[in-house]
Amino acid sequence: METTTVMERKMVEKQPETTVEAETPSVTKMKRIMVAIDESDSSFYALQWVIDHFSSLLVTTLAEGGLLTVVHVQTPFQHFTAFPAGPGGATVYASSSMIEAVKKSQQEASTALLSRALQICRAKQIRTETLVLEGDAKDMICRAVEQMHVDLLAVGSRGLGKIKRAFIGSVSDYCAHHSKCPILIVKPPKEMTH
Amino acid sequence: MEETKERKIVVAVDESEESMEALSWSLDNLFPYGSNNTLILLYVKPPLPVYSSIDAAGFIVTGDPVAALNKYEHELVESVMARSQTVYQDFESDINIERRVGRGDAKEVICNAVQKLRADMLVIGTHDYGFFKRALLGSVSEYCAKRVKCPVIIVKKKAQNN
Repeated sequence: METTTVMERKMVEKQPETTVEAETPSVTKMKRIMVAIDESDSSFYALQWVIDHFSSLLVTTLAEGGLLTVVHVQTPFQHFTAFPAGPGGATVYASSSMIEAVKKSQQEASTALLSRALQICRAKQIRTETLVLEGDAKDMICRAVEQMHVDLLAVGSRGLGKIKRAFIGSVSDYCAHHSKCPILIVKPPKEMTH
Repeated sequence: MEETKERKIVVAVDESEESMEALSWSLDNLFPYGSNNTLILLYVKPPLPVYSSIDAAGFIVTGDPVAALNKYEHELVESVMARSQTVYQDFESDINIERRVGRGDAKEVICNAVQKLRADMLVIGTHDYGFFKRALLGSVSEYCAKRVKCPVIIVKKKAQNN
């Protein structure tokens, strides 16, 4: 009647004896990183930077690795705006075929961007998913961060031309203020003008 | 795999809980096993008020208040460093950690330090400002995020999801 293996249940969590503050925050490894891209080069630079620095967390070879979400936000086409047309000056509302044509070209642009991003990610064997959202970029990004429980949001930053020092770019600025998770702001190197 | 690139990561700390969280976040996420990154812990002391030796009423200010101030400041630095140490002590064997103390206006000192050290990344926490919790960034983190040339990570206090 030998006891075979004794199951040792070690309490893995250490309870630090901090009397002053609450428990030390248990920060777990990142599981989900979101990168927002648009047509600008600086957002792709941000994507590349994230891949270079966090590849160890996101590589597909890891069983429990993280996931990189590449998100592109489409600004919706205002199809109810009136278009002045022709010499007669009569305003014409966008016809449904025109709306469709614009939607289609937007989809194509989105797809092209995301496939470009995917190529970059696949080259480094990053576990990636893509996401297309429609609406106001800064708002949609922050909402997505909240809903998808993103651990780190990465954005590029163009800066606004001459007002370089005052702004880091309106989307990155807004996201820095409103996002619920840590935010990484990657600035393009000086050579990049756009 | 070019993982042996050495990176310098500056983490700015102050007396707040948020910056300790930023520190522990960086330790957990920015130092994967096998990387050669250096963590530079930067604490900026507030500038010393300047006392002239004779004040307006004509009394000569003795050395005592100045000494008391120095002592207070020293204790402050020690306490911040001690708190940081409890956060990073588990990682000490694996990561190079440098501690630096600056003095002056926090945002300026941090930006200058990042530039001088040619840091690859800056991590900074941000204070929660009452009502405007989500609308305002701390002034220091905002200033640094805008001014600094390297990528910046702003770590916010985690919302209690439990």
